[in-house]
Amino acid sequence: MVDAFAYVPAVVLLPFFSFLVALGAGKYLPKGGAFGGIAATAGSFLLSLWIATAVAGGRAYNETLYTWAAGDQFELTFGALIDPLSALMLVIVTLVALLVHVFSLGYMNDEGETGLPRYYAGLGLFTASMLGFVVADNLLMAFMFFELVGLCSYLLIGFHFREPGPPSAAKKAFLVTRFGDYFFLVGVVAVFATFGTAAFAGEGSFPALAEAALAGSGDVWTPGGLELQTWLTVVGLLVLGGVVGKSAQFPLHTWLPDAMEGPTPVSALIHAATMVAAGVYLVARMYGFYVLTPTTLAVIAFIGGFTALFAATMGVVKDELKQVLAYSTISQYGYMMLALGAGGYVAAVFHLTTHAFFKALLFLGAGSVIIAMHHNEDMWDMGGLKAKMPVTYYTFLAGSLALAGIFPFAGFWSKDEILYEALVHGLNEPLLLGGYLMGLLAVPVTAFYTFRMVFLTFHGEPRSATARDPEPVRWNVKGPLSVLGTLAVVTGFINMVPVQKVLGLEGIDYLHRWLDNEWGGIEGLSSHHYADLGPYSSGYIAGGEVPTVLVGAAVSLGLALAGLGLAWRLYNVASPTEHTAKLGGIKDVLYNNYYLDELQVWIAYRTEDVAGGADTFDQGIIDGVVNGVSSVSLLGGSRVRRIQTGLVTQYAAMLTLGLIALLVLLGVNGGWFL
Amino acid sequence: MILEALIGFTFLAALVVLLAPNAWAGRLAFALSAVPFAGSLYLWSQFDAVGNALTGGTIAFESRYEWVEVGGRTVSWFVGLDGISLPLVVLTTFLVPLAILSAWTPVDSRQSQFYGLMLFMEANLLGVFTALDFFLWFVFWEAVLVPMYFLIGIWGGPRRKYAAIKFFVYTNAASLLMFIGFMSLTFALGDSIGSLALPEITQALADGGLETWFGISPGRMAMIAFLAMFAGFAVKVPIVPVHTWLPDAHVEAPTPVSVLLAGVLLKMGTYALLRFNFTMLPEQASTLAIPIAAIAVISVIYGAMLALAQKDLKRIVAYSSVSSMGYVLLGLVVFTEYGVGGATFQMVAHGLISGLMFMAVGVVYNATHTRMVGDMAGMADRMPVTVGILVAGAFGYMGLPLMAGFAGEFFIFVGAFGAPSLPYAPVFTALAMFGIVIVAGYLLSAMQKTLFGPFRLETDYEIGPAPFHDVAPLAVLLAAIIVLGVAPDIFFEMIRDAAMPVVEGVSVDV
Amino acid sequence: MVPAQWYLILAAGIFCIGLFGVLTRSDALYFLMSVELMMNAANVNFVAFSLYYGDLTGQVFALFVIALAAAEVAIGIGIILVLYRNFGDIDVTVPTEMRW
Repeated sequence: MVDAFAYVPAVVLLPFFSFLVALGAGKYLPKGGAFGGIAATAGSFLLSLWIATAVAGGRAYNETLYTWAAGDQFELTFGALIDPLSALMLVIVTLVALLVHVFSLGYMNDEGETGLPRYYAGLGLFTASMLGFVVADNLLMAFMFFELVGLCSYLLIGFHFREPGPPSAAKKAFLVTRFGDYFFLVGVVAVFATFGTAAFAGEGSFPALAEAALAGSGDVWTPGGLELQTWLTVVGLLVLGGVVGKSAQFPLHTWLPDAMEGPTPVSALIHAATMVAAGVYLVARMYGFYVLTPTTLAVIAFIGGFTALFAATMGVVKDELKQVLAYSTISQYGYMMLALGAGGYVAAVFHLTTHAFFKALLFLGAGSVIIAMHHNEDMWDMGGLKAKMPVTYYTFLAGSLALAGIFPFAGFWSKDEILYEALVHGLNEPLLLGGYLMGLLAVPVTAFYTFRMVFLTFHGEPRSATARDPEPVRWNVKGPLSVLGTLAVVTGFINMVPVQKVLGLEGIDYLHRWLDNEWGGIEGLSSHHYADLGPYSSGYIAGGEVPTVLVGAAVSLGLALAGLGLAWRLYNVASPTEHTAKLGGIKDVLYNNYYLDELQVWIAYRTEDVAGGADTFDQGIIDGVVNGVSSVSLLGGSRVRRIQTGLVTQYAAMLTLGLIALLVLLGVNGGWFL
Repeated sequence: MILEALIGFTFLAALVVLLAPNAWAGRLAFALSAVPFAGSLYLWSQFDAVGNALTGGTIAFESRYEWVEVGGRTVSWFVGLDGISLPLVVLTTFLVPLAILSAWTPVDSRQSQFYGLMLFMEANLLGVFTALDFFLWFVFWEAVLVPMYFLIGIWGGPRRKYAAIKFFVYTNAASLLMFIGFMSLTFALGDSIGSLALPEITQALADGGLETWFGISPGRMAMIAFLAMFAGFAVKVPIVPVHTWLPDAHVEAPTPVSVLLAGVLLKMGTYALLRFNFTMLPEQASTLAIPIAAIAVISVIYGAMLALAQKDLKRIVAYSSVSSMGYVLLGLVVFTEYGVGGATFQMVAHGLISGLMFMAVGVVYNATHTRMVGDMAGMADRMPVTVGILVAGAFGYMGLPLMAGFAGEFFIFVGAFGAPSLPYAPVFTALAMFGIVIVAGYLLSAMQKTLFGPFRLETDYEIGPAPFHDVAPLAVLLAAIIVLGVAPDIFFEMIRDAAMPVVEGVSVDV
Repeated sequence: MVPAQWYLILAAGIFCIGLFGVLTRSDALYFLMSVELMMNAANVNFVAFSLYYGDLTGQVFALFVIALAAAEVAIGIGIILVLYRNFGDIDVTVPTEMRW
């Protein structure tokens, strides 16, 4: 039998080849190389499914495949780590990538875009990098592909480079994430210095070494006699810097709304479903390390909860379809971070999965609307599209219900589990409880802006000429939407924990069992193991587990319905008006994103001022000294040469004087005058 | 004999090209410069040295003839290669043909002299990287300046004379300082050496051969020599605050000369620092570890900040070279396998990447006749391939993984962070690493302003794609950068082998 | 025999007269003559010491100096001619073209 794991490199390399083909020969191929990309991602998707089946068959894979630098001090390697987590992520990434490639046929090719080979090359390279990141078996490899993913994001956001906006947004995206990646890189280097390895899994992996060292049975390096627990917290927070940057968490989230300058399929693939997920995935990947440091977990939870609420409030006032989705993305990743910080490893992965599908769906749906609206994204120009584009409407609605967390759509299950985990663990942990409350507050806000978006776009009367006569979309748009729409409805059923707990059914929490290595996996990388290591204990309200589950679910569902209801009242009318004026001064603050962009621009300008000062200093003082030495020499020379009068008699006189001086000197030394 | 053949052929080629007619001097020079490259590839394939040439390792292609005897010291023709010098020899012979190719478009007068001087410089550079006798090495070291002076002074920009004289005087004065430092060291060694061969001197120093000389105690002598040589080489590298000749020289030099200046000449300084200061006097180096590391960090951050303030594309790349060389210094001073090895690797990587950047900026300049950031916009529209490679090169400069720059920088960082011989190593390393954010800042904003957005440039002629012979060297360089980034061990393995003895020169109590 | 110091005093006297001429005169011809005087002072010394030591080498040297002086006059007169042609004068303080 052929081993599925032997094809792990192929999963990564297939899209890479499609990148090479599109780059080298894209302009000679039909559709600008799109079919190569579709074939490659389809191949990767099938291989991923096969690999997932192999994992389900009770096996796992953790091999070093290539030695990058074989030093004695550290060995830097590339390898593949296939366990339930990465197998799941492989399937998600390849599936979304495949659907986005197909969708691009409709969004890019049919719309007559130029530069398609570059576009498909970018998508191919992105998919390859992302898959490389997913299968990475050590932190260094993860970092390297993390950066490549950032490059692709830069290239694709700046796809329309002839306009002024996209290059600027691309720069911002790369720079802001780079700022986070700086901390990540310091973290990687620190992990190497501390443990001598960066492997994720196995006996000699750094989470295992850290665990052993904390238990007292192992010795690791710490700088300057720092206490081990403190140092591990510092390392964890450093790596977290990269996560905050890529997963667009506060305060490094500002790049993501700007990244909407990129083509919409790119937004769906990169800025919703996969790249932004990289940060969260990384935390999940090295969760065995994070659970060892309670402070880091608390920070993660707090950042996550805060971001969830913070981003949701900004989504309320946006006018453009993709902007609303961008802020909802930030907010949803905040939930995942909250889950991870709260010890809800499975809940985070669950939300990662459901979110990947419903957010990709929403973005592609938005893309479909944008095609129909001739690239006008302002929701106030839309309205009444429900009748004109039913497929888009119903799939978009499914995605919106999932996003708002309405029973029984996918988002409900995952969001509910996150809040439940945060609640039960937070009852003994005040910081976590704060995160929970912020996450809970974000629920009605999310439902509100989601349905404000739906109602403005699809309901009511058309508010512009294009909305009255939208451009039709083809199969290549409807197909992906239908697939994702179905997934947005059903994905939640893979992990119905509340149902299991309330009804006492056993074994329908498939994702829990999957991530707990029940079918197969790697020792030490299971949710069970993480829970044992983690610092949290559970507390319950209303006397016991089942009531807590019910109360928690009821509260979050009730809040979501309340938000939906408010949106219904305000915006589900024939010709809705802006109600944002009621918010008064807050509206401006929200509309300007709490002036955080201004703050970052201000920082950038101040940095430039400092640079200018440094330049003045360099030219004036440092180079001034150099030129000063030169001027002093020249000046001295020009003074001294005046001795050279050109008068022979003076030369002779000087000669004589010199002779006499010499004689006197000799005489004094020789004692003639004594 | 093969090294003599390599250097001799290059000298001969320089002479032939100098006498050739201007019309086909460029093509002839390119053809002739391919031969040393082929030769260096042959050297690479036959390379069998183990260890460091200075600390008693086996020397590849060793060849030694006595020349003269002065004051009880034999001066000899003594050349050979080890794992540190071979990559630099390959880098030199690889960059020169590409630089010559990139000169075809911009150099339009006195071509035979231009290419002759380029080849003459290559021959001397090869001499610097292969010589193992101090006297011989010093002759080559100084002789490199001469063609450089003329190349900047004749074919340079409007302020070429100022730049050429500044470059020459500054680096020459520094050489003098270094020469005095080193010679007093050899005098203080007294009878423990019988020649000026570098391995012998290194051995004698390691064995404690320094004697009291003119009332200067051995420890003090070594420290004085270390400081004098450090100051001398620092100018060549260049390290803040003795870096100001570099931007002027780069801005005025024609593109191909900038390529060699940044790609190879700067590496002479770091190579010499490694060979002399850090291999011969490791104790002094580790005594001074904190100030040196501080200088390195300042070079990185300060150089990057200066680059941020520049408007001239060439000046940006020039200052970022200062920044990158700071990493090399940091790698050297930590005395770990990855630190010293990474520093050597970074020399090669930076040689390729800065060469690529200067060349790409030059190709854009050929078309636009301006390098000012504010003067043009949207060049990607007119020169897609060139701009594509320029963007790739810029990302290489920013340390994008799987390109050579990342490998070099990461090796240095990972080697430096936990270095036992440098106090506060994590702090220094983390500070230096912030350079990767600033470098992204200035390169991205420069690219955004010049390459993207709507096309804008006031010219009375049409700007189209660059000719093939301009783009081909860019593509070749990019390919080399990626190959080295994906498989750094093709050089890094031999570098590590040669760096280990240097590292072992410092004993640390962990 | 006349003691050596008398010759030396004579030679020093002649030399000083020559030196005085060089320092005070500005006419090129006087220059030339003064230089001749100084050379002859040296000649006197050569001959005196030759006599004193009983060695003929000094006298041979004196002959050499005389021959050289003749050659020098030839060149000197030539230079003076050029001076006159270019500056219309043989005053050595006039041509100062070569100063800084």
